[in-house]
Amino acid sequence: MKKVKSHGLIGIFSSLDAVLAAIRSLKEKGIRVDTVYSPSRNEELSHMLELKSSPVRWFTLTGGITGILFGYGLAAFSASKWGFIVSGKPPVPVVPYVIISFEFCILFSVFATLLGIAVHTRIPRFRLPLEYDGRFSRDHYGVVVYRPKEELDRIEENFFQAGAVEVKKIRPELGGQGSEVGRIIDPEVVE
Amino acid sequence: MELPFKQLTYSQADDAVLRNLGSPTRLFWLLALLSGGGILFGAFCWGYQIATGLGSAGVNHPVMWGTYLINFVFWVGIAHSGTLISAILFLLKARWRNPLARAAEAMTVFAVATAGLFPLIHLGRVWIAYWILPYPNQRDLWPNFQSPLVDDVVAISTYLTVSFLFWYTGLLPDLATVRDRATGLRRRIYGFFAMGWTGTHAQWNHHGWGYLLLAALATPLVISVHSVVSWDFALSIVPGWHSTIFAPYFVAGAIHSGLAMVLMLLIPLRLAFRLEDILTNRIFERVAQTIVFTGLIMGYSYATELFVAWYSGNIAERDIFLWRAGGPYALQFWIMIGFNSVAPLLYFFRSLRTRLVPLFVIAVLIQIGMWFERFVIILSSPAHEFDPYSWGRYFGPTWVEYGIMLGSMSLFFFLFLFFAKFLPSISMSELKEELPAPGRAEGNGQ
Repeated sequence: MKKVKSHGLIGIFSSLDAVLAAIRSLKEKGIRVDTVYSPSRNEELSHMLELKSSPVRWFTLTGGITGILFGYGLAAFSASKWGFIVSGKPPVPVVPYVIISFEFCILFSVFATLLGIAVHTRIPRFRLPLEYDGRFSRDHYGVVVYRPKEELDRIEENFFQAGAVEVKKIRPELGGQGSEVGRIIDPEVVE
Repeated sequence: MELPFKQLTYSQADDAVLRNLGSPTRLFWLLALLSGGGILFGAFCWGYQIATGLGSAGVNHPVMWGTYLINFVFWVGIAHSGTLISAILFLLKARWRNPLARAAEAMTVFAVATAGLFPLIHLGRVWIAYWILPYPNQRDLWPNFQSPLVDDVVAISTYLTVSFLFWYTGLLPDLATVRDRATGLRRRIYGFFAMGWTGTHAQWNHHGWGYLLLAALATPLVISVHSVVSWDFALSIVPGWHSTIFAPYFVAGAIHSGLAMVLMLLIPLRLAFRLEDILTNRIFERVAQTIVFTGLIMGYSYATELFVAWYSGNIAERDIFLWRAGGPYALQFWIMIGFNSVAPLLYFFRSLRTRLVPLFVIAVLIQIGMWFERFVIILSSPAHEFDPYSWGRYFGPTWVEYGIMLGSMSLFFFLFLFFAKFLPSISMSELKEELPAPGRAEGNGQ
């Protein structure tokens, strides 16, 4: 579970251009963006956040190789238990077992890919982070930044200048040590 | 590039899709009752067959496969276009696939699940079906992995597993959207299945890569599965079956029937849930154009089979094709030719492929034609093999077979009905990738 190491802010935006402007502004000031919530995958956001290729593909490759070895191994093992020799043909052939190796290659690749997705996206998790807002799955964006308390006012100003419709403060000391038990305070309440 | 559907905002797209998740209507419960009744009747027929033996199914030497294998191949075929639309067209970046993909994937999962029942029903003693699986046992018997039937078990179960996981992976973000709109128990249920999806940039990145990889894996799989099914026949030496074109011919046929089923399911879905803004005529037109393409492949395959039967000089091969075209199954043969390769050509007329009624009617004709294609292939060859002494006919399904057939169709529609009512039948997250992003007037969400 992600620990909240310092105070944070979440800026909520109703347009893509505004969220891009906010991230650009933070990057220019050397402030790291911790999380961006969005209602769908977006190339411009990925580019702005300089996202790299996902390591999920290495899971896929490992699963595929394992599947080929398992499929061929299973078929060869089964054939060795029979020990049939038909017309001098090899009891453990190569060509017919390509089919079984292929099917297991796909099956294991898929399992491994899902494992990779689960590991990297940290799902399943059955409690939502407190900063999460239901609007993010509809048509709003959220930018989360964790920084020392004294920097938050400046960042909040940045968010509003970029076009945020709302900014919330995350104050872990009110509720404990993690975002799961932290508190989100509306600006009006804090003021 | 112009969108193939109405340019909605993100929230309008959500509202349009989620509208169908409201409280079930009387019509829904009536349809559920009818299809549920069909399932129960099918289950009764299966029980009757188990109690009295396979003789009640009307299969006999030499035609031992009867309607059970026809229906098996038919439902596996239906399953194929789901993966074509969701995986192959995804890799080809065809934008018109987005509104269709979710329902087509669901159709795939339900059709494979339905297909998987038929080999079990045909086994007779279904309680020992697990003997086909490789596991250590006292008899020290292991499956022969050189047999196409064992390959088929592996291929179909892999396909069912992969299509379900592919469908569910794509569904995750949308389940989160439903969770965020729901309250009370519904929120807890959708929340459980959404697995804590929140749409962070890291989640979208890994999910996107994973989804792309799953599509790339599903694409060769879908081609392999129906190829393996075709080898159940082609690896024998039976005239009419022993053919090298069977694999591509089966794959094209499967996609052909599956696309027709997409039209048969989505046209009523659009009317029932008022999805005209998303499931537009233009999208159905694209499906119809693809059906024309697969129909031409079907026509070419039929012609190639006949040509090879004549040109090869193989007497048995030539005889089976003449018998198919002029023998007791001639009606089914000409239905196959007419409905699969001639009827789809009607979609060349723009007026027919842009109106719902002709689109639907031609899709139904194709479905009938594809069922009879399997009838002709599966029943005619063993009925008319090399030795006239062993020739014999299958005299049509008994009430038990009709009952099980009705049960399978009911099961498929029952599952699809519940899917359409309780899950987002159109992928909202993929739709949003094409729509203008919030705050922008146009573009494909970028």
